Amino acid sequence: MKLCALVSIAVATIVYPSWRLSAIVLLSILVCFRLSHVPLRLTKGRMKFILTFAALMLLLQIIVIENGSILFYLLPQIGSLGPFFPVTDFGIERGLDIVVRFLLIIFSSILFVSITDPTLLAYSLVRIGIPYRYAFSLVLALRFLPLFDSENNIVRMAQQSRGISLEVGSIHKILRSVRYTFFPLLVSALSRVDSLSLSMTGRGFGYSDKRTYLRITHWSPSDWAILAISVIFTIFCFILALGLLPQVSRFL
Amino acid sequence: MLEARHVTFSYDGIQPVLRSIDLTLQRGETLLITGPTGSGKSTLAKFLCGFIPRIVRGECSGVLSIDGDDADSLTLTEIARKVSLVQQDPESQICTLTVSDEVAFGPENYLIKPEVMTRLVDSSLASIGSSHLAGRLTYALSGGEKQRVVIASMLACQPDYLILDEPSSSLDQKGILQLGQILSELKKKNLGVICIEHHLEPFLPAADRVLSLSEGRLFPWAQDVGRRGGPFQNHSVLPIETDALASMKNVSFAYADRPVIRRVTMAIHRGEVIALMGDNGSGKTTLLCLLDGLLNPLEGEICLGANSVKRLSKKDIAKKVAMVFQNPNNQIFERTVSREQLLTLDVLGLKESRLTENSGARLDEAGLAEFKDRNPFALSHGQKRRLNVCSAVVHDPDLYLFDEPFIGQDERGQRFITNTIAERARTGGACVVATHDLPFAAEYCSRLVFLENGSLLFDGRPESVFHRLEQTGRPEYSLGKVAS
Repeated sequence: MKLCALVSIAVATIVYPSWRLSAIVLLSILVCFRLSHVPLRLTKGRMKFILTFAALMLLLQIIVIENGSILFYLLPQIGSLGPFFPVTDFGIERGLDIVVRFLLIIFSSILFVSITDPTLLAYSLVRIGIPYRYAFSLVLALRFLPLFDSENNIVRMAQQSRGISLEVGSIHKILRSVRYTFFPLLVSALSRVDSLSLSMTGRGFGYSDKRTYLRITHWSPSDWAILAISVIFTIFCFILALGLLPQVSRFL
Repeated sequence: MLEARHVTFSYDGIQPVLRSIDLTLQRGETLLITGPTGSGKSTLAKFLCGFIPRIVRGECSGVLSIDGDDADSLTLTEIARKVSLVQQDPESQICTLTVSDEVAFGPENYLIKPEVMTRLVDSSLASIGSSHLAGRLTYALSGGEKQRVVIASMLACQPDYLILDEPSSSLDQKGILQLGQILSELKKKNLGVICIEHHLEPFLPAADRVLSLSEGRLFPWAQDVGRRGGPFQNHSVLPIETDALASMKNVSFAYADRPVIRRVTMAIHRGEVIALMGDNGSGKTTLLCLLDGLLNPLEGEICLGANSVKRLSKKDIAKKVAMVFQNPNNQIFERTVSREQLLTLDVLGLKESRLTENSGARLDEAGLAEFKDRNPFALSHGQKRRLNVCSAVVHDPDLYLFDEPFIGQDERGQRFITNTIAERARTGGACVVATHDLPFAAEYCSRLVFLENGSLLFDGRPESVFHRLEQTGRPEYSLGKVAS
């Protein structure tokens, strides 16, 4: 259900690029963050980067686009110089279009990841017909990502403790640096793959075409409601995009 | 009965790893198998579970029968329902994100109904004393906790025979004693258990028989006199100086919001061999990394000699300190054993003839001289560990920091590493060894530093620290256990 809603938002924002409509959905997503008690740390590293990136995109659009009626200049006329960088209403609108949609997709994805149990997501994929061997690779990837991250740190520390510094002075040095990092990680990963496959086979993975599950998701009436809203929203955006509702699209 | 007859196996078709092995295991029987690294113990375990020859390739002959059925007539999953294998590295055997999902993984594959499965998950976790872990995330567990979860997930498959390959390697002292009790419990449940181990002492009470595998053949086991060829004569020939080789003052460290080291103050002097002990997750590895300048403390100061580590370059630190990490694969960089051994000399510009000559002798002492042109990644786990030690100390730095160097080492490996440590202390350096190995700490170390939740709890001569640990309700660290 959550995946359907996420896909619907993504498709709709791409189909009908309007910052007003996107802003309304973005606001409701932010309300959902509060409702589901997911902390939005706007000042923390990653979030800070996303917001700065969005602000830069907005600024770039405003500077680059010169079409539309000019509101003011970023650099006013000084003597015979300038004026430079006209700010136009169309530029602002295009900038907002892009930035609000960017933020909408990012925030809705963050919300999705924060409130979804990946194991249950994988099992739900199995229920809609994806073979469990493929769905399970999602769980495996998430299981081993933190491990490879920490191994990468250990390899770097091991290099430092031996006095090896990663150099990029020449092709030979770049290749050597890559080899010193890549080989230890690769060998470690491959040896893990061997024991993992024995461990999974040893517990009957592949015993039958079907599996039972300790935890399963239940499809409730509210899920139907959200699914319906998502579908209607997507169709609505398609209709708007095709220009079939000119009286509504004037406001959105 | 699980029975193997006339089993011979070779990975390359030339060098046999198992030579005409005969072995039987009754239900309710506990069998310990020991032997040097590379003697074929893990290979035998893989044969008994049917992975050889079905998944692991090689030249194989011999018969495996399970409760009278010839294994050739059974599929791999049919064998797996009866014989389960817990491999060496618990980290690589966990495939889901939560503990209860992990324990349920086998039953789910075997199409057990959810209501039965819930009971099975609970009882499997309870049987190894880990019910409290059920809701935890698997990647956030400590090494010992992961080991227990892997055992529980195998028990949940309800096998008749269970094979454990070096299960104590990632456990702390408490965990090892618990594992000994778990083996006794499994026996009561009529499970046939094979436990492959280097350190037999904690498991002997549960064992019905002990066998030794050497050069691919099984023999009845005979107790050794000493694991490392007797204690070295003097803990410190040199008088301990007042000037510290390295020191930490009020050092604290945290990963994100989780404090790992709390206000630790200690000094390391020339001539000392320090055992760094503590339960899983007590901060031993982090403390070593701090001493090597690989992590920056949140508070406090770390010095090498009179200089703050912060002001030294990484190369300057590398010249004075050698660190050996736990996973051997994470610290091998070159393509041949001899190049790996000489890499540090190369990088630090120390290609003096004396050091190069010594390096050859050390490789010989480690039993690796014959492999010097081989790819180091192709060595066995124990050999890689010895190479890690050889290549880290090739330039004779003052301070050795070893993180669990004895894991997976047979007698020869233990002797080599112990000698390397002893030699450094004798010739005016110092060593800090993070270890769960009680006999090593008791017999070979001049000092024992005990960490609890990142704080330095006790620091003193090993016998007095052991005494205080026993007095403060930690019987697993009693010297009586060492003597036994």
